[in-house]
Amino acid sequence: MGPLRSMRDGIGFDTLLIGFALLYLLAFAGLPLLYNVIISFQQVDVFSLGTLLHPGAGWDNYLSIFRDPLAQMVLWNTIIFTVGSVAFQFTIGFAFALFFHQKFPGATWFRGLFLAAWVMPGLVVGVLWNWLLSGDFGVINHVLLSMGLISEPIFWRSDIDVSLYSVILANIWYGMPFNMILLSVGLAAIPDDLYEAAALDGATAWQKFWTITLPMMRSTIGAVLALGVIFTLQQFDLFAAITSGGPAGSSTVAQYWSWQLSFREFDFGRGAVISVMMILVVLAVSLVYVRSTRAETRM
Amino acid sequence: MSQPQIRIENVDKHYGAFHALKSVDLTIPKGGFVALVGPSGCGKSTLLRTIAGLEKISAGNMWIEDRLVNDLAPRHRDLAMVFQSYALYPHMNVRDNLTYALRLKGVSKAERAKRAQEVAETIGLENLLDRFPRALSGGQRQRVAMGRAIIRSPKAFLFDEPLSNLDAALRVRMRKEIRALHDRIGATSVYVTHDQIEAMTMADHVVVLRAGVIEQQGAPLELYERPANRFVAGFIGSPAMNFAPGVVAEDGSSVAALGATIATDVTMQPGQAVTVGLRPEHVSVVAPDAPGAVPTRIAAVEATGSSSYLFTENDPELVLVTNGTSALKAGENVGLAIPPDQVHLFDPDTQAALRQTG
Ligand SMILES: Nc1ncnc2c1ncn2[C@@H]1O[C@H](COP(=O)(O)OP(=O)(O)OP(=O)(O)O)[C@@H](O)[C@H]1O
Ligand SMILES: [Mg+2]
Repeated sequence: MGPLRSMRDGIGFDTLLIGFALLYLLAFAGLPLLYNVIISFQQVDVFSLGTLLHPGAGWDNYLSIFRDPLAQMVLWNTIIFTVGSVAFQFTIGFAFALFFHQKFPGATWFRGLFLAAWVMPGLVVGVLWNWLLSGDFGVINHVLLSMGLISEPIFWRSDIDVSLYSVILANIWYGMPFNMILLSVGLAAIPDDLYEAAALDGATAWQKFWTITLPMMRSTIGAVLALGVIFTLQQFDLFAAITSGGPAGSSTVAQYWSWQLSFREFDFGRGAVISVMMILVVLAVSLVYVRSTRAETRM
Repeated sequence: MSQPQIRIENVDKHYGAFHALKSVDLTIPKGGFVALVGPSGCGKSTLLRTIAGLEKISAGNMWIEDRLVNDLAPRHRDLAMVFQSYALYPHMNVRDNLTYALRLKGVSKAERAKRAQEVAETIGLENLLDRFPRALSGGQRQRVAMGRAIIRSPKAFLFDEPLSNLDAALRVRMRKEIRALHDRIGATSVYVTHDQIEAMTMADHVVVLRAGVIEQQGAPLELYERPANRFVAGFIGSPAMNFAPGVVAEDGSSVAALGATIATDVTMQPGQAVTVGLRPEHVSVVAPDAPGAVPTRIAAVEATGSSSYLFTENDPELVLVTNGTSALKAGENVGLAIPPDQVHLFDPDTQAALRQTG
């Protein structure tokens, strides 16, 4: 009677589907997350790695990370990397989205081409930019030199003053198409007749952008920025391929440092501390994302 | 009427290879209410949008108040448009929707609020100023769209089927309200509709379009009484005019059609082929043997209460309208009395009207 009936009227089946999804999330996302938090309070080294339980460490791992001489630089690098990448990915992506929103022959086709960058694996993109940025025979140096903007080649990957920016440059190129596509979808969702009504009401192109486009895109923009921050905090391949976090840690960001601590120095406790703190940041940003998409469905 | 507010001369519009407007000539007087009617796809919206400047004309000239506007951007034309979709700004409340144009002009916030209040009172929106469009009914949205237009006192109002999303009763009421508003504020209006009743009741000048061509334009009753061709005759009037093939008889004035001889008040070439047009409301039912009546039989009767539609067993079938409930039954033998001065005649080849009346 009970389960069979609820199966038939669909409620049981819905619960079953949701149950599977929740179970999956718990097993493959929830447990590792929890284990990560636990490890951050334990002493784990390469010898005790194989055992499930490790001696407790209290807040030692946290204190040692905060006191680490690298910490401040990594924090700054992470902020610069995230803000710089997201700001430029977003503005350039928005500019391209607006550009391709103009109806000219081949617009959708060209826009599709941009996605090619986005579907490439990060390591491939990294190798590609290694070539472009190469100090001796890189295209970028060649162009800058021949335009007279610089007088001698910049050693993008090995100069501590620019190494972080070379990764940012690659990451902007890598993430921009994703921003553009999401923003294009948002632009396409704004009905043409609003712009026509605004034109008759006396709006210039600039006024239409500020009074119609931007406010109508608010939830899309919120979602794109939130996803941008989350993806940027996940970016690892480009660092591995272009600078390996160097020279002298000058391009080390939190996620890379966490990896270095865990898998290079086998200091899993301290590596976990960094990822726990990053989880908190991502959680906060996710709230922004969820709120943005919720506003979208209400419109 | 007074001087022209909008003048359109020989205007063509091409969309690629498609010819959407063909040599359109139209003069809209200041204070005039002009309706553009025609079947779907005939170019009504296109013509309205070229006036608004939302579509560029391909050839010809257009003036608004003596200014040539062929290449003038919409925002410089000072026209207001009410869209079929209303096109309200979803992210602004009613007050901001109404005053958007004023805000662009830099009118102060206090002044805007005052104007919004005034307009809201004119059109019965005073309690809805803080609502967002998504929280309004279709009729209320329609009013906001109207209010957004009148707050600007533009050179002309352009309406693109503004009532087509409303229910029948509200449509009839808004018809009168829009016309009353037009008269009260002394506006100039161009009104697109596919509903000829709307056009006939609201406008003082009706333009009938077909496939991008103006078939006829004039006062509503002029189109009804003296249609220039078979298309206009069939389009204006409801139910539509009956058409039957015929041949002019020996006397040059009566026509052999519907298996009988129908008298007219014009003189034509005997033997000439014609198309006879009879309005359902002009043919009356008499006794089958009445002198001059066309004998026939009733095929079906449809009663709507206020009037009855009679279908006769002629070839082609005729539709007649009588007031009230008809006592006639299907199968009854009757005669049809056709007043000679109400017979419309068309050339079967060119479809042009043959009657030289008026
Ligand atoms: N942007 C466009 N590109 C190509 N053809 C178009 C375009 N806009 C309109 N047309 C064509 O022009 C013709 C007239 O269109 P229009 O919208 O003016 O018709 P309408 O009389 O308003 O019809 P409806 O009563 O259905 O609104 C149609 O055949 C339409 O397909
Ligand atoms: Mg239309």
